[in-house]
Amino acid sequence: MSTEVGTLRLRGRRTDVWSLVIFAGFAIVVVFLIYPLFDIFRYSFLDKVTATFSLSNWKTFFSKAYYLRAFWHSILIALLTTFFSMVLGIPLAFFTTRYRIRGTNLLTTLSVLALLSPTFIGAYSWITMLGRNGFLRLLFQSIGINLPPIYGAFGIVLADSLQYYPFISLMTAGALMTIDRSLEEASENLGARSVKTFFSVTLPMVLPSLTGGALIVFMMSLSNFGTPMIIGGNYLVLPTLAYNLYTSEISQTPGMASTVSIILMLCASVVIVLQQWLSSRRKYASMLVNRPVVKRLKGVKSFLAHLLCYFIVFFSTLPLAVIVYYSFRKTSGPVFKPGFSLDSYRQIFFDVPKTVMNSFLYSVIAVILIAFVGTLLGFVIARKRNAAVRVLDPLLMIPYMVPGTVLGIGFIVAFNRPPLILSGTAIIIILTYFIRRLPYSVRSAASILKQIDPALEEAGINLGSPPGRTFRTITLPLMRGGIISGAIMSWVTSMNELSASILLYVGKTMTMPIKIYLSVADGYFGTASAMSTILLVVTGVAMFIVNKYFNRGSETFIAA
Amino acid sequence: MASIQIVDLEKHFGEVRALSGINLEIEKGEFFTLLGPSGCGKTTLLRTIAGFYHQDKGDVYIDGELINNVPAYQRNTGMVFQNYAVFPHMTVFENVAYGLRVRKLSRDEVSTKVAAALKSVHLEGYEQRTPDKLSGGQQQRVGLARAMAIQPRVLLFDEPLSNLDAKLRIEMREEIRAVQKSLGITSIYVTHDQEEALVISDRIAVMNQGVIQQIGKPWEIYTNPQNTFVAYFVGKINMLTMQLGEGAGQGLRHATLGNLAFIIPAEGTENIPEVIVAFRPEDVIEAAREGSQNEIVGTLKTVSFMGSLARFELDVEGQEITIDRHRPRETDMPQRGAAVSFAVPTRSMLLFDPKTGHRIGKGAK
Repeated sequence: MSTEVGTLRLRGRRTDVWSLVIFAGFAIVVVFLIYPLFDIFRYSFLDKVTATFSLSNWKTFFSKAYYLRAFWHSILIALLTTFFSMVLGIPLAFFTTRYRIRGTNLLTTLSVLALLSPTFIGAYSWITMLGRNGFLRLLFQSIGINLPPIYGAFGIVLADSLQYYPFISLMTAGALMTIDRSLEEASENLGARSVKTFFSVTLPMVLPSLTGGALIVFMMSLSNFGTPMIIGGNYLVLPTLAYNLYTSEISQTPGMASTVSIILMLCASVVIVLQQWLSSRRKYASMLVNRPVVKRLKGVKSFLAHLLCYFIVFFSTLPLAVIVYYSFRKTSGPVFKPGFSLDSYRQIFFDVPKTVMNSFLYSVIAVILIAFVGTLLGFVIARKRNAAVRVLDPLLMIPYMVPGTVLGIGFIVAFNRPPLILSGTAIIIILTYFIRRLPYSVRSAASILKQIDPALEEAGINLGSPPGRTFRTITLPLMRGGIISGAIMSWVTSMNELSASILLYVGKTMTMPIKIYLSVADGYFGTASAMSTILLVVTGVAMFIVNKYFNRGSETFIAA
Repeated sequence: MASIQIVDLEKHFGEVRALSGINLEIEKGEFFTLLGPSGCGKTTLLRTIAGFYHQDKGDVYIDGELINNVPAYQRNTGMVFQNYAVFPHMTVFENVAYGLRVRKLSRDEVSTKVAAALKSVHLEGYEQRTPDKLSGGQQQRVGLARAMAIQPRVLLFDEPLSNLDAKLRIEMREEIRAVQKSLGITSIYVTHDQEEALVISDRIAVMNQGVIQQIGKPWEIYTNPQNTFVAYFVGKINMLTMQLGEGAGQGLRHATLGNLAFIIPAEGTENIPEVIVAFRPEDVIEAAREGSQNEIVGTLKTVSFMGSLARFELDVEGQEITIDRHRPRETDMPQRGAAVSFAVPTRSMLLFDPKTGHRIGKGAK
């Protein structure tokens, strides 16, 4: 009914503006996604030595145990991480939504902080705790328990699960909170016990959100680069394998790195497609009339429920606390000394102020671009669905299924030769941030617009306000909160981006995550802790602003 | 000169014909209603007048000015929306002032006009409230005040009461009517509620499948429907398809359906084999005696006591017939399954051609 408002708006000289936006959307997709991805595709079919078409890379991948092992490692890690995230996330969601747990808001905030913190910080923190001389390992040793080595699968799954379980707990809690009380009451009224009700009514209602969360965890773990890079040791997964191959193939054609990238991207695509299909298929539109009851527990039961919830969240934020603690320890070079000081911070600001500056500068520029382009494209997608837009919409979602490592390799192979040479510039880093966040921004702008009743814009026009003025005085103010909170989330993820930028940086374009990774690799834990703490504070402040000023709940963070 | 004039309007959505052959003239100050089931094109017509849709063919004039190519924001029509469309990020005052500020009125003029508009919808003192603090009825009053404040050439109502509860709906429709009459603004009102249309309108256009079926005063639409659709849609009506028989003299004729034998007006039935005989539930009378003229005998299927009237559903020759008895007494209420008999006065019959659905005989145009 309302689609014609868009047409009306587009009549006359405004046609050019929105056509331009659509054209720009296609240009972005073609130049910064299709071109680099196609380049990877092409390289995977080029022989390393002769540089002619061949299947040699693919043959190598499927015949050498070294490569296949990384594939199976990736799958195994993702499965285990998903499993343990559910073990942590489901009880937390259930207890915090169905029973009165004191400090639920604090628990949610802390788990979101763990979720949004840079992936490599958790990994690195576990090394300080459970590494060869980690204090927890020594502690356990003193009471006779020998923990398995942290480097390898154990460490990756530990760090990943504790980072990603909030996807499960937040999405499940969201679903649990929106099940109408009367559905469970109806079940009990029809004679089902509460256990039966849980399994035959509550759980099936929550299942779509739960599986949605599980697939996101699987996907995140599959494409995570930072954690396995820092804590994986010789245990290679696809992203670290691709990175290693690329850095060792630096003087030749990046054939194997490209092949591994394609395989990684295919895995990711399968998961994304599955997730999209599931989320479109099983969504129970329930009219929430009666909110679910939050029961009060008494005595021991209450104590145990609190203990469980606090233990899960404490366990996941422990690595962050340890990092902050170490950042204030006295250091001498790579060695920690007794006592506290601001040495590590001083060192950052004297030695690498440029790195800190770069991180802020690049991410801010990227975010301005993301918010601007994302809003315009989101508007086109929500309000102007013509044939071109219907093609553009899914194309804009490609970055969802491109792991950072793959995008990084694509960018470097595509943009270090004419016609577009960008390698070594700040622009290529900013573009990486931009492309990786663009789909989130487009989606969120479009979904905000879908929630704005087109009748509001019509009312503005009907009252005599021209389309431009209507957009400015009605549409934009209604979108503003969503755009800004989305932009803040984009800013945080850009600040914390490692997997693509580590392939693209040169000395002068180094950013904080890269510096942290290098410091950890060199054993300079003090510097790494201080920088990690800065990133954590940035993440926390951003979360606080979004929560406080834009009244956006945890959905915003999951969407991020 | 008519306030609104619509000539041969046509509109398609893809393959679907939403409007065709629409011709209308609405007088200055008139309250004109577009009535019809959902999907009949009434909202499309309203939105075409507002300029949100552009017609494929035909002309729209407001106060004699052809506005086909005038954009929506320059048409000066005040629209009241079904879901209120009150701007959520503005106060009540800012909402009502919006159109005035667009028109670059001075600050004083804006305040005066907003105050007057809010007064006429009884919302004085609500200026600084935000819409989320208002009830649905209050929000719709803001919507009405906002549309009136710009002194539009025509007020357009798009099912403005359909989201309100029954009691409020009746209250609001009287208020809308009162405000409209006091200001004398030409109004076009879209609704699917036939009772609302009958109460509120000066004239009604009944629409179906993109075509206007009949235009008339509420009284005419109800008592003199021009086709079976209008008869069905406005009010309740019984229809029996009967075989035509011999003439009965004095311009009358026999018609039968099974054991049912009616004497009906003969006018217009000359060249058709069958006729639809229609009559309103409230026009049926008690049969004076057994075998009296136009008697209907049937089995009582349901009795619904509705206070001021009792509604009987009868099975007559396999057809369902509805009969209303006003001021029912307890002794008048037969039991379900009872055999009952009533009579239909010939003068209250409406005849339709079963092939075309068009009205025939007396009163047909």
